[in-house]
Amino acid sequence: MNIKESIKISITALRANKSRSFLTVLGIVIGVGAVIVMMSLGGGAQNLILGQIASLGSNSIYIEPGSFDPKGGFGMDMAVEEMTIKTLKLKDVEAIKKDPLVDMVYPMAYGVARAVYRSEDEKVTFLGITPDAYIMDDWHAAIGREISDDDVKGTARVTTLGYKITKDLFGEEDPIGKTIRIKKTNFKVIGVMEERGTEMFQNYDEYAYVPITTAQKLLLGIDHLNAITVHAINEDAINPLMENIRLILRANHNIYNPEGDLSKDDFKIMSQVEATDMVSQITGILTAFLSSIAAIALIVGGIGIMNIMLVSVTERTREIGLRKAVGARNKDILNQFLIEAITLTVLGGVIGFIGGAVISFAASLGLSQVLNTDWAFVLPFGAVVLAFGVAVIVGLVFGIYPARKAAKLNPIEALRHE
Amino acid sequence: MLEVRNLKKEYRDDSVVTTALNGVSFLMEKGDFVAIIGPSGSGKSTLMHIMGFLDRPSSGVYKFEGQKMDDLTDDELAYIRNEKMGFVFQFFNLLPRTNVFNNVGLPLTYTKISKHEKEQRIKKAIDSVGLSHRINHMPNQLSGGEQQRVAIARAIVNHPSVIFADEPTGNLDSKSGQQVMEILQSLNDEGHTIILVTHEQYTSEMAKRVIKLKDGQIVSDEKIDSRRIAKDGLVK
Repeated sequence: MNIKESIKISITALRANKSRSFLTVLGIVIGVGAVIVMMSLGGGAQNLILGQIASLGSNSIYIEPGSFDPKGGFGMDMAVEEMTIKTLKLKDVEAIKKDPLVDMVYPMAYGVARAVYRSEDEKVTFLGITPDAYIMDDWHAAIGREISDDDVKGTARVTTLGYKITKDLFGEEDPIGKTIRIKKTNFKVIGVMEERGTEMFQNYDEYAYVPITTAQKLLLGIDHLNAITVHAINEDAINPLMENIRLILRANHNIYNPEGDLSKDDFKIMSQVEATDMVSQITGILTAFLSSIAAIALIVGGIGIMNIMLVSVTERTREIGLRKAVGARNKDILNQFLIEAITLTVLGGVIGFIGGAVISFAASLGLSQVLNTDWAFVLPFGAVVLAFGVAVIVGLVFGIYPARKAAKLNPIEALRHE
Repeated sequence: MLEVRNLKKEYRDDSVVTTALNGVSFLMEKGDFVAIIGPSGSGKSTLMHIMGFLDRPSSGVYKFEGQKMDDLTDDELAYIRNEKMGFVFQFFNLLPRTNVFNNVGLPLTYTKISKHEKEQRIKKAIDSVGLSHRINHMPNQLSGGEQQRVAIARAIVNHPSVIFADEPTGNLDSKSGQQVMEILQSLNDEGHTIILVTHEQYTSEMAKRVIKLKDGQIVSDEKIDSRRIAKDGLVK
């Protein structure tokens, strides 16, 4: 008895109980569908974030306040450290700039405030920057001019606004040369940035760029920085430059650390490659975690399959007896019921896969709209393999017991079964 | 071709032992038509199940075409059932929602022959029981007699050397029963060995030889001198 024949018999048997078969596979459909959605959206999120990190340039190095935790802790500790450690200063930027391996340096200090123009009052995230920021982010003013070195030196009260905040404040009015108020300080709008959208969960179109010195003195009242981004001259320079920066900052911050113990430092340095690895790791763990929750649905679905297969074996006891009488070996009966179980789960897998893919696709479209970003729909090949692999395995695992029960039936008793 | 020697079969249910067969012996030649007759509980069905390789005896020897049952594995028994035996049951045992063609073809599912040959054999078997016009019908669209004829077609589709019929007329009206017996007699004329289990004296007289069982033992084993011919019509 060949497999084709077995599958034909299975499909006939399953069609005989259409609604029952459908309800039975529903668990598998939901399980496989959920795994597909999790993997697809997880993959999409990862691609998006990694793409954005990559767009910052592979030569980037990030410096943040706070010490390196060898246990790799994230969350509250890190956030608190970034706010409380005030050692990163503009003189560090000047010192780093002198290193021959450095191409550009871009210090940053930011905060959130209300921006007011006449009767319009909007929440705005202001970023204190230097002119290098425009080049390093490859994001420029669409109209007007950008913040210049003179603006930074002179603590000028000028700003280049994001696309959305401009629309919100000025509507159709020409904003160039107009004055807005941020934290009781008047700023002249000198430029409007290109439309950019959301990246890394930040909507750049709601940002206001101001000179770093102005942000520190007039808006924040501080003299430290939130972060420094450094561009190395080339990729090979990244590692030596990171080491150089460590030495520079230790010297500037009076940290005695000859053995290079990272936990003694009051700053963290991360290259773009390390950031990529970290993001991949986080999204990978998140995807695996969510997928394993979805996998519980598969187990529940598998138990449903086992249950219905046991019912089927009981219902078809006479058929099993007859098949044995006309020459079916135990193996033939076992295969028949196993294939039937696998046909059910694979059918569920196919439906779940299609459903999951459709939902993921719709979700990607929705997320692109909501987050105003180009969230791409991905269907990882691993998800396809996993969906069908899992379907077959669930069929095998939960089908083997009923199938063995069927195969072991005594033909005479089976034939007498009412 | 068939040898039964001192066959015993006991069923154990907890500590209670029921003896179904208690030392049965006989020989059977190729081409014979044997009726096994006896009241219910006489062991006739048990005997037929053992002879049909569906059950194993507790003790004694059963040889089928020279092969001792004890020497054969379950898979080998299944193979011989498939190749050399045909079964007809009292309750037809056709697969529901499966048409006549596929029901008759069931034993060929477990045989390695070409699709074309399978089709030929199935059609020929259906034709020989006179149901060619019903080939695509479902069992529930057929009368009891027609269903039993489908079951006979299924029994002969593999060209078996022996056909086992367990009360084949037991669930039929007398006219349909007579038709079934007519087919069995003509199959016997074509050279098939037939073993018929029945409790009806009348039906058993259509065989060539009658073995009477009672309480698991043979009480008589006689040749029928003037067998009834089913074709000649109902006498009952």
